[in-house]
This record gives sequence, C-alpha cells and structure tokens, in this order.
Amino acid sequence: MPRHVSFFSPRHPEKKEARGPAPKSGTRPRLTQSHYPLLSLTLRSKPSREGIDSFLSVMAMATSTFSPRPASRTAPLKPLQAGAKPHLHLSFPRLRAGRLARAAAGEAPVEVVEAPPKEAEPSPAASNGAAVKAEAPAKAVEAAPPLPRFRDERWVNGTWDLRQFEKGGVVDWDAVIDAEARRRKWLEDCPEATNTDEAVVFDTSIIPWWAWMKRFHLPEAEKLNGRAAMVGFFMAYFVDSLTGVGLVDQMGNFFCKTLLFVAVAGVLLIRKNEDLDSLKKIIDETTFYDKQWQATWQDDSPPAAPK
Amino acid sequence: MTSLSSAVALPSSCRARPVGCSRRARLLVARAAASSPKLPDGRRLRVAVVGGGPAGGAAAEALAKGGVETVLIERKMDNCKPCGGAIPLCMVSEFDLPLDLVDRKVRKMKMISPSNVAVDIGRTLAPHEYIGMVRREVLDDYLRTRAKSAGAEVVNGLFLRYEAPKEKNGPYVVHYNHYDSSNGKVGGEKRSFEVDAIVGADGANSRVAKEMGAGDYEYAIAFQERVKIPDEKMLYYEERAEMYVGDDVSPDFYGWVFPKCDHVAVGTGTVTHKADIKKFQAATRLRAKDKIEGGKIIRVEAHPIPEHPRPKRVSGRVTLVGDAAGYVTKCSGEGIYFAAKSGRMCAEAIVAGSASGTRMVEESDLRKYLAEFDRLYWPTYKVLDVLQKVFYRSNAAREAFVEMCADDYVQKMTFDSYLYKRVVPGNPLDDIKLAVNTIGSLVRATALRREMEKVTL
Repeated sequence: MPRHVSFFSPRHPEKKEARGPAPKSGTRPRLTQSHYPLLSLTLRSKPSREGIDSFLSVMAMATSTFSPRPASRTAPLKPLQAGAKPHLHLSFPRLRAGRLARAAAGEAPVEVVEAPPKEAEPSPAASNGAAVKAEAPAKAVEAAPPLPRFRDERWVNGTWDLRQFEKGGVVDWDAVIDAEARRRKWLEDCPEATNTDEAVVFDTSIIPWWAWMKRFHLPEAEKLNGRAAMVGFFMAYFVDSLTGVGLVDQMGNFFCKTLLFVAVAGVLLIRKNEDLDSLKKIIDETTFYDKQWQATWQDDSPPAAPK
Repeated sequence: MTSLSSAVALPSSCRARPVGCSRRARLLVARAAASSPKLPDGRRLRVAVVGGGPAGGAAAEALAKGGVETVLIERKMDNCKPCGGAIPLCMVSEFDLPLDLVDRKVRKMKMISPSNVAVDIGRTLAPHEYIGMVRREVLDDYLRTRAKSAGAEVVNGLFLRYEAPKEKNGPYVVHYNHYDSSNGKVGGEKRSFEVDAIVGADGANSRVAKEMGAGDYEYAIAFQERVKIPDEKMLYYEERAEMYVGDDVSPDFYGWVFPKCDHVAVGTGTVTHKADIKKFQAATRLRAKDKIEGGKIIRVEAHPIPEHPRPKRVSGRVTLVGDAAGYVTKCSGEGIYFAAKSGRMCAEAIVAGSASGTRMVEESDLRKYLAEFDRLYWPTYKVLDVLQKVFYRSNAAREAFVEMCADDYVQKMTFDSYLYKRVVPGNPLDDIKLAVNTIGSLVRATALRREMEKVTL
C-alpha cells in the first residue's frame, strides 16, 4: 500500500478520508472527529495514509487487553494513541488543547502509583554522612503496582525494527523519528524499570544524516535565511537613505560589511526572545567554576602576620 | 602565585631529601631555609590534623614520615561513612593500598539513559584495570593505622575550636573533647594542646573551616540505601556498577547502583532539588526494580557532597584538605582520591616548608600546596565541570551523553583520565571525530526533544 508522505503537504484533519477496513466492533470505539469534536482536539490528526488503518485496528485490539491502568491516566486516549503518530504540524491550538485535556483528566505524576517503602527521615547536614537507621532494621523493597509499559509493534528486542517502517522498499525515516520521539515521551512521563533481557540498544545515529537535515535543519534554515534577507534588505535601504551609498558601494565599505556580519550573526544566535538572556547566562556559566577555584587566591594579601 | 622562582643557592646542609616533585621541593626548602625561624629548643614542628578520613589519614602519615610531630583527632574510629566507595587505580598504587582492601573490582559499568537506552562501558579496559569498591570504614582505618605506625598520635576526640596565636610565630591552641573508651560512652573531657599548624580534614561540615571563616560552598545531597539482594541477583552486580541518568532520577546528578561487599548501594543525589530527594530515590529504585526486587534495605544514609572549593582554603597556618576544602569533582562526584592526595600534598608542603620539622611554617608554605594541587588537577576538574554543564542539563543532553558513551574512543579517554588522573591528549584526528560525533548526538537528541514536545500521549 503506497503511503503518501510529503513533507510539505498540509495535513488537515477535516480532509480525512474514510478509513479502510472497519474497526473490529466491540473493542475500542473509533473516535472520529465528527463524533467527538472536543476529543478530536486531543488527538493528533491522522496522517492520510491508507495502511495505517489496519494497523490501528490491530493496535486497538491489542491494547484493549492491557492490564487496567491507574485511573488517573487518560485511559480512552491511550490505546488509540498507541498506533497513531505525531507529526510535524503547526497546529498550536490543537497541541495546547491536548495538554489541557490531559491535565483535566488528572494525569498524575509517576510517584502516585508507587508504594514507596517507608524509611526514616535522614538528617543530611547534621554531620558528615549521618547514617540513618531505618525504622525497621530490615524492610523489603516492596514491589510497586505494575505501570503501563511501553509497547509498540515495531519496537522489537530493544530497537526499532526498520523493516516494519519500509514504505515502497525504502525505510521511512520520518516515521522512525516520530516513533522514537513518542517512545521517549512515553518513558519520560512514565519511567520504566530497566530489564537486562530486553535491553534497549537503539542508537539514533542509525538514522542517516540527510533524514535529520531534511526534517529539522531545512525548515529552520529557511526561516533564518528569510529573516536574514529581510533584515539585510531593510538595513541596506536604511543605510542608502541615510548616506546615499547604493547597495553595490556598500559592499565595498568596511563598516557596512561589519554591519552585515553583525546582522547575520544576530539572526543565527538570537532566534527567540529568551536567547538573549540565555546567551548572557552561558557566558557567565563558563567562567563561574573558574572563579570559585580562584577565590582562595583573591584576597592574596602578602602573608604578613598570621591571625 | 607564590614566589617559587626565588631559587637561592643552598648551602648543602639545608638541602632536604626531595619529596613529591623534586625540583619544586628543593625550591621550597630554599625559601623556608632562608626566611622562617628555626624552632626554639630544637623541638619539632607540631601539627594537628583534625579528622581521620582518607584526607586526615594520608596527611598524618606523610607528616609523621617527614619528621613532624603529628596529632590526628578523629571523633568516631569505626565510622561507617555513607559513600559510593569507588577508588581509581592510581590510588591503589600511589598509596600502596593492599589489594584485600578492595572488596570488588568493577570492570563493567552500565549507563542508562532516560529512555532506558543501556550502554555498556568497560570494553576498553585492560585486564589489570578496574574501579575499586571499598568499604570506607576499612579504608579509613587502614590509613589511620599506617599513620600511627609512622609515628603520628591518633586521638579519639571531637574538635571544638582553636585559638589563634597571640604573636607572630606563636602556637595555636586546639580545644577538643577527649573520648576515652575506658570511661564508656560518657561525653568526653575537655582538653587542649598547642600546635604550630592545623590541617582541617574534617569533611563536608568542617568545623575547622567554620572557625577559620573559610566561607560556604554549594553542596549536593547524596542519598543512599544499602540493599541486600538475593544471591542470584547479586551475580549480575558481580563486577558491574550502574548509573542512571534522567530527570526522574535526578535533575542535576545521577542515580547509581554500586556493588559493595555483599550488598548493593542504591542511591541518587541532587543540588537544586534537595527537598525531592525521596522522590528521586523512589524513581531510582523503580528503574532498577527488576534487578533489586526481593532485596531488604539494611541501611539508609545521606551525606552532603561539596560542589566546589570553599572561597578560602588557607588562613594563617590553618589549611583545609579533602571534602573540607571542597575537592569533589563535578559530574562524577569523586572525592576519596582527591581527599587523600590533597592531604598528602599538604603534608609534604608542610614538611618541605619546615625543613622536615625543624623550622616554623608560614602561610606561604601552605599556599604552595594549594598552588600545586590546583596546577595538577585543575584540568580534570574543569573538564568534568564542562561535561556536567553540557550533558546534565536536560534529558535530551543525557540521551546524547549515553549515546556518546557507546563510542570506544570516549570510553578509553574516560577511563584513562579517571583511572590515572591524567588528561591525556589523544590522537587529534580521533578528537575531531569525537567532537563531530558529540555535536551530532546533541543535535539529534535536541531535535528529538522538539519532536517530543509536539507529541501528546
């Protein structure tokens, strides 16, 4: 089944064509946008790919047999999301609404679902290394109730099975990037115990450099080039109107060339408002540790009479 | 910097045998011999070492060996300190530690990223290389015993305060609570004695530092649980230590599972979010859940770890060494070796500055120890600081960090610099490749992070 994924094709949720095979009834209700307009805000729009439907229905069936999740999680959304993919879509209102819906559903932090073993309160700063006796001399490390583990059909033996990402004979790297982002997000929200039998060995460097370029660098580069061009144009116009020096003559002038350099550097370094502060912080940070070490030499008055 | 260049032509009678770096020691002797007064009545220099950990033990031993009359004050002789307990290979050789001091030889480390990507480190280790895991009470006791047999007097007591000398070369008066085991556990009697110099080796909450107004430092809290796990699970940790990184485990440090003699130590630490340490500990336990399941917690402990040196490390003839001075590296939180080494270097500077205990020392002699220590180890500290700043700042950076650790060259460089405490410049071509790979990893991890923000689960 050819899946059409174009980097720049607009993905409008309204343009969703009818799904292929009908979902297995009796399992997860298929939440289409028309039925649940509010919930649809929390779903990322389904990419217009045909083969995804059968996959989704299989996932829905598989996930419906999951162990019961803690009630605090947004249960209806999770299974459906299991197969759907995030993608590069600049629909900010949808994302914000998605977060709100999640918060509204009372997504609890991880600690709630655990039953932490009880220990005595340590007194850390009282003395060097206070050894605190536990209230009971020996306590078992209680097993916490099982958390939902990350499961994905394509995640096999601790890495992504690239054959399952193939699309027309070639691996769809965008899908791999999406899948990995989703996995990391899942694990960040819901950390899992490591397992030596299912050790994770995935390395992002297997995704070729051009896939990263195409996906992340090019749009950013386009944006920055656009900014540089606009700034450059207006600077050239401004200088011309002030001094009467035309564009060609400006390029021969050292000061104007400096201005150009500053404009380009500024566009590269300062991309958001916060960048100005973070640049200053970074400059402070690089020398802070050195200053802490030099502190003992600062008041280096000649060793006259000792105290 | 102190005037090491004042090389005076020495009459041969003043030339002491070189200690440490030979040329510098001779210059030290030159300066001391030239200016500081000989001690009256031919008595030897008296130095009090406050604190009997690795720093104090090493300092007392080096002082006693150098001919200085040394008193080592330690408040708890069997103190079982909460500590990772990892010592590098160079410590075993430099301090002539007997091999039975090392409980376990860790040859494999596992680094685990926030998304559980696990990387095994240790492939590049030679068969004779390892990270030694020791029990602090055993190590500290051994060093103190050695100091005693070198001639130091080991006293069981709690340092209270000291009085500054009244005139230029006058003595310091050290007040302490003397504990006598024959009296039982009654609160000790107050005693005092006079010394010419004080070495503060009393750890992160140093009283000597407070007395001399050394200033404060930022510190991390390290929280650790000792867990006795079943034998078959212990096999996994036979030669293996684990490091977990992630926001859930610690926002600015790492969680660990280190094997000890017959149990494992599971712990974590933080500088900025000390109030949440229990949460981080629970998260660490969760990440290692399957591997420590069925274990019993036999001990819970916590201790402060300094993040940087105190603003003032010497004042008059009082100086600080070890954790009291704040010599703990960033990123890895290693302190035992630097404590012992700084104790030894300080003692050697005192011995040299006093011409083996025959002359009075001055603040400048103590500053020589500071200068030498800073010169030797500043690159190590700075590199680790940069690593911490770059790789511990976010989950994305930690993922990149773990990815980088999979590289053989990185492992070799890391272990070389850790085990032998030298920053070895590698092959420049490999360095460039490493730089490119690092940037690549960071860029990829950051790009994935931005994707992650768009994902709503």
